[in-house]
Order: sequence, then C-alpha cells, then structure tokens
Amino acid sequence: MSEDQPSPVGRGWPAVGALQPVSRRGRVRGHLHAIKHAGKWAVVVLACSLFAASVIRADRSRKPTLESIGDQVMCLCGCMATLNHCPHRDCATVAEIRPIIEKEIAEGKDETAILQDLAIRYGVQMLAAPPASGFNLTAWILPGVGLLVGLSLVVVIARRWRKPTPVAPGVPPKPLDPKLLAAVEEEMKASGMGTGG
Amino acid sequence: MNQLGSVGLVAALAFAAYAVVAGVVGGKLRSLRVVRSAERATLAFFAMVTVAVVALEYLILTNDFHNAYVAEHSNRDLLTFYKVAALWAGQEGSLLFWTWLLAIYSGLAVLLNRKKNRQLMPYVVAVLMGTGVFFSSLVLFVANPFQELSLASPAGVQPFTPPDGNGLNPLLQYHSMVIHPPMLYLGYVGMVVPFAFAMAALITRQLGDNWIRTTRRWTMVPWMLLGLGILLGGNWAYAVLGWGGYWGWDPVENASLLPWLSGTAFLHSVMIQEKRGMLKVWNVVLVITTFFLSIFGTFLTRSGIVSSVHAFAQSNIGPFFAVFLAIIVFFSLTLLFLRLDHLKSENKLDSLVSRESGFLFNNWILLALVFAVLWGTLFPLISKAVQNVSVTVGAPFFNKTAIPMGLLLLFLTGAGPLLAWRKTSFQSLKRNFLAPLIIAGASGAILLIAGVRLFYAWMTLVLSIFVGVCILGEFWKGARTRMKTAGENFAQALYNLTLRNTRRYGGYVVHLGIVLLFIGFAGLAFKTEAKGLMQEGDLLRVKSYLLRCDGLITGDTPNYEYTRALITVTKNGHAFTSMHPEKRFYKASQQPTSYVSIHPTLSEDLYVVLAGLDQDTGKAVIEVFVNPLVMWVWIGGVVVFLGTLLALVPSRVEREMAEIRRAQEVAVQASDAI
Repeated sequence: MSEDQPSPVGRGWPAVGALQPVSRRGRVRGHLHAIKHAGKWAVVVLACSLFAASVIRADRSRKPTLESIGDQVMCLCGCMATLNHCPHRDCATVAEIRPIIEKEIAEGKDETAILQDLAIRYGVQMLAAPPASGFNLTAWILPGVGLLVGLSLVVVIARRWRKPTPVAPGVPPKPLDPKLLAAVEEEMKASGMGTGG
Repeated sequence: MNQLGSVGLVAALAFAAYAVVAGVVGGKLRSLRVVRSAERATLAFFAMVTVAVVALEYLILTNDFHNAYVAEHSNRDLLTFYKVAALWAGQEGSLLFWTWLLAIYSGLAVLLNRKKNRQLMPYVVAVLMGTGVFFSSLVLFVANPFQELSLASPAGVQPFTPPDGNGLNPLLQYHSMVIHPPMLYLGYVGMVVPFAFAMAALITRQLGDNWIRTTRRWTMVPWMLLGLGILLGGNWAYAVLGWGGYWGWDPVENASLLPWLSGTAFLHSVMIQEKRGMLKVWNVVLVITTFFLSIFGTFLTRSGIVSSVHAFAQSNIGPFFAVFLAIIVFFSLTLLFLRLDHLKSENKLDSLVSRESGFLFNNWILLALVFAVLWGTLFPLISKAVQNVSVTVGAPFFNKTAIPMGLLLLFLTGAGPLLAWRKTSFQSLKRNFLAPLIIAGASGAILLIAGVRLFYAWMTLVLSIFVGVCILGEFWKGARTRMKTAGENFAQALYNLTLRNTRRYGGYVVHLGIVLLFIGFAGLAFKTEAKGLMQEGDLLRVKSYLLRCDGLITGDTPNYEYTRALITVTKNGHAFTSMHPEKRFYKASQQPTSYVSIHPTLSEDLYVVLAGLDQDTGKAVIEVFVNPLVMWVWIGGVVVFLGTLLALVPSRVEREMAEIRRAQEVAVQASDAI
C-alpha cells in the first residue's frame, strides 16, 4: 500500500500516517505488559485447573481394594467413622459389610459399581461423600462456584479501585530532596526493609 | 453449695442486665458516673459467675452426687486432674464454663481500657454484657448444672444421692483432652471482644484507626488460642481414637475451623486498613462473620442437629441459639448499613501486583474455604430438608474441595509478603521470586526422582519449599542489611531486626509454622498399615520395622481394668524400642477405650494399637501404622503459637506511637472535662 492510497481507517484503526516506529523501550514495555497480563491469567487458569482436577471424580476404573472402598463408605453402627476406622472391636456392621465388598471385588466389579451396590443395599447415607448426581451434585459444584464467584468479585472490586493511569504529565514532578532521600534509604536499610516490603 | 451456685447465676444475670442498660444510657448521656457503674457491674458479673464455677467445682471435687451433673460426669475413683476437667465435660458445665470465660474477657476488656477508648467503652460493655445476659440465662433456665437428683416414692419426691457417679467419658481421660476444650472456648469466646469493639465503633461513628488497632489485638489472642485448641484436639484424636489420623472433618471439628479461617482473613485484611485506609466495610463484615461463626460453632456442637462424635447429646438449647444468631445478624448488619458513609475507602489500588491485592486474594481463598467447609458440614441437613434423603459428607468430600484451596493459600503465604505495598516492580518480582522458584523447581524434580508421585503430596512439598525459602530469605536479607549498616553479627542482627518490627517478623514465623503444618499434612499420603493376630513370640513386619509380641498382661486400677501388649520393635535388624498399647475398660461408665502406643520421630511415627482380643484364638489383634511426618504437624502448631506471641509483643516503634496516642487521648479527655 503506497502512502498515497487511502488507508483502511475505521473505528479503532489508526490512520496509516499515525503509525510510528515503536522504540526499543516501548517494545520492552509492551512485552512486560503482555507477560504481566498473561501471568494474571495463568494464575486464574492454574487456580481453576487445580480446583477442577480435585473435584473431577477419581478414575474409578482402577482396581478396587478393601482398603480403598472402606475409606469411602461409612460404618453404620453409629460410630460416625468410615468402615476402615470404626473404633469398635468386633463391630457387627463391619463384619457384615466387609465380606460383601470382598465378594464384589472378586467378581471383578470396579469401584463405582461396588459403591452403587452398597448404596442400593444400605442407603445413600452409607457413602462417605454424596454421589455426584441430582441435587447432590450441588454439594460438589457450589464450592467451586463459590471460589469463582469470589474471584470475580475480587477482580471487579480491584478494577473499581484502580487508580486511573495518569495522562502525560503537564508539569514534570519536583525532584526529591537528596538529603531526605538519603535519610529514607538509611532508615529502610536499618529496618531491613530494602526488599519487597 | 447447689443453692450458692444458683444464687451466683441469678446475681450474674442481674448484673449483666444492669450493665447493658447502664452502658447504653451512660453512652447516650455521656455520663462518666453511669458508664463506670456499668463497668463495675461487668466486674461484678465476673465475680458472680466465678462463685457459680467454684461452687460446681467444689461439688465435683467433694463427690457430691446429689447434684445431677456431678453424678453424670464424675465418680469417686476419678483422678483429681480429671475431676477438675469434669466442669466442661457435659452440656451444663461447659455452658457455665463458656459464661465464665466470657466474664473473664469482659472483665479484662474493662480493666485494660480504664484510660483509653473511653468513647467506645459504654457500648463495648453493653455488647459484652448483652452476650452475658444470653449465656447466663441459658445456664440458669435451660441447662442448669445445679439441679439435684430426686426419686419419686410413695411418700412423695425424695432427694436422692447415688453411692457413686457415672464417671467421666473415658475418651476425655487424656491429658490433651483436658486442655483442648478450655483452649477452644478461650478462642470462641474471645471473638466477642473484637465484635463488641466493632459494634461500639459503628454506634459512636469512631471509625478511625483506633478501633481497628484495638480490634486486631483482641482478635489475635483468641485466634491463637483457638488454633492451639484445634491442634490439641487433633493430638487427642491421634493418640486416643486409634485410627492413626488427627483430623476427620467431623462437623464439630469443622465448626472450630470456620471462625479460625475467617479470623485469619481479618488479621490479614486489617493490615490494608491500617496502612492504606481501605477495606473498611469488609473488615467489619469479617469481624461480624468471625463472631457469628464462633456462636454458630457452639450452636452446632450443642444443638444435636448434626451427627458427630464430639457433639453433646441432643438438647433443647438449639432454638435459643438460633434466635441469638438471628439477633446478631440483624443488629450488626443494620448498624453496618447505617454507617456505610463513614466507611469509605481513603485510597485507591495502585496496582494488581501489590501487597494489597495479595491480601485480597488471600481473603478470597480463606472465605472460599469457609464456604466450602460450611456447605459440606450443613449439606446433610440441607439434603434432608430439600429431598428428604440422608446423605453423609465425610473426609473424601472435604479432601477433594479443601486441599486445592489449601495449596493456593500456601502459595500466597510465601508470595504475599514479598509483594510491595502499592506496586511491585518487575525487577522486585524477579529479585524476590527467582531464587525460591528455582530452588522449589529443583526440589520438585528431586522429589519426583525419589519416587514422590502422588500429585497433592508432591505439590504440597514443592510449595512448602518455595514458601519456606521466601520467608527465610526475608530474614536473611534483613539481617544481612543490618549486619552491614549496624556492624552486628548475624545473631544480633536477626534479634534486633525482629524486635524492631515484631508484627512483621512474628507474622513470618507464623507463616513458617503453617509451612511445617503442610509438610506434616503431606505425610498422610504415605501412611502404611498392617494388622495381625499376635501371641507371645509372634512377629509382624511393617516397612523396616519388625514387631515381636512378648506377651499380654492384665491389670486392675480403681478406675479401669486393662490389657497391655508388650511389643519389642527392631528396625533394620537393630533394637529400636518397646511399645505397650493398652485396651482399657472403665468401670464407672462401663466403656472400653484404646490407649495407643506411639514412638514419634521427625521422619515418621510408629503407631501401635491393641484393637482387642480375637474371640476364636484369644490372640491380641495388633494394628500398626507408620505415619510419616506427623511430628511436623505438632511442631508447626507450636511455631504458629510462638510466632503469634512474638507478633503480639509491641515493637519499639509501636510503643512510641502508643505513648503519643495515650498522651493525645488524655489531652482530649482533659479538654472534654473542662
């Protein structure tokens, strides 16, 4: 496109003539801004990924053991502990349920199937965590929703609180008194405040 | 003595009610005489509740089983140490104990503020004693520990005194269990004081720096004690319950964690208000939330609405707590709404990469954790109400939801203090974070090579190293600067640096303690268990330990009968230790309990339980756990406690500022008097 031809100027597009070569400092600033911006989003993505990874159901197709199932079901004797941790010696409930679990493991069922069978037999309250279906799904979703809503609020509040970026200064700022500056630096060193704080 | 205790309670209620009225009237009329009378009534409330407590302890210690509470929770052969603890073993006694701690805190608030915060004190007293009216009424009319036993007979109702009591719950007969409830209650109850100051500040519109500084200090102490109480409870669960763990996400455990988390959020965000005059509304909300959650936790424990191993038996005090909670919410939020104009932020946020935003994100995670734990704790009730289905929400749920948030929080624990106020430059970020990131990254690689492949455990350890390096780096950089400028050696520089700014460096010590706690938590992922039937001469191997049973002995004490297993342990072929787990049967309560044998080391605990005797063979059922890194949980808790104590010590600068403020207050009071 030669300088004589009209430029595709529209809203948001600078006129060709307005484009100036970017200085090296400007390029560095631009990169830093991009890194900071990317860094912020990286934190958000990391936070959400960590949380999502945690609430995504564990791979239940792995081979179940009495131990792994026993940690996910409650003992119904009233001890309010999981099957593996019932404090009662010779607990009748533990004695009844363990053979059932062992039989189902021997039949080759996976964790999900075994837990479902136990829930059908003894009730949903037997599971140490609510199943992720129906209304019970809200148990799993709401903490994550709360986290994201909280994050959104923080971002909104932080943006509303942001000082506007100053426009090009009309008057250059007064230089600081060198004696005052030296005294401040001395005080900071003495209190070990020369770092991030 | 029963009558004396009851009279004490009646008098306490009367003094509390007077103090509420006198506080409000004195504050409105600005009458020093009326305000002082309210304060004296507060001290009298303390005296009368103390009379009631002393009366009940006397009844317990003298085995007066004519008193229903003593008969229920004590017996003749109970050790004196545990008899004293019987005061808070049951619903009625523990409510009285709660009221007494409230009276102590109220008395201290009055005595420590005789010459300061004079404009706030009338309403502080009114709020404290309003809470006192509630609890003393509850104890007097609903859960009275001074009821006497009687028996219906043909001749009419006759007083009855059984020959002995039912004894203390065997699970409570353990040293850390004796201290655990008092610490917890000191934490719960103490949160009423910052709440009272916040309400007084809102009422009087004295919403400057003074109230927030006062409130922060009054929050740190109960926060510290609540944390200690939670740790002691975990220690008890570990040593007594016999399942090898220290935290089960039980509803009552969760109820104690909630105010601690919101209190932590407050202690951080208050710094923004002190430094930059921002987040004023949010800080008031956090103070209200923390107090609300303290009372809510008490309500959950005592109402019986949630099933818990810790809960008291179902009782009728739930509705009273519900009403009190509703009053707190209505009163405090109304007041906050009416004073919004006085709580405008004084500054703006200069940058999202700043300490201010670091604290914002810290609060975000902490409150998200509060919500997740609260939601999970209440979900069984919600499920029952909505779909008429009982569900259980146990450890698998809380581990999945809380652990990722905990890891985010751990990251912020290290990153936050390295951000500058207002704006952190890229050079500063690079200077502060590069070394910790490199060291943490390298450590992560080493851990992977060493076989640590479980994601959460690995991430916890990597983040712990990152945060640890960040914090230790702050101490190192500060001390090194002081060594250069003041010519001190490292130890002197570190000492003087810390004392010069105790809040800051005490906070760093607390953060280090949190790191140690997380390192301890990571060890849970590597627990090993083994179980076997053993008689004399039998062997059981677990990891590098070989356990040999040297026999079983039985015995009899006045309080319990016991069976003790004698176990000799070798490790990698060398003599290691001997362990003596017991099974006890408490005679008075007719209940069995385990006495776990633990050999702790810094790397792992060897934990041996005598689960019982096999009915068919008569052999001992021995359960063995190897629990890595548990010791770091207790060490971390102690470090948090010590760091908080350090942060409470006024630094030299703070002392000088306090003197100036006191002089200004005296001048203001003098001119008011004129």
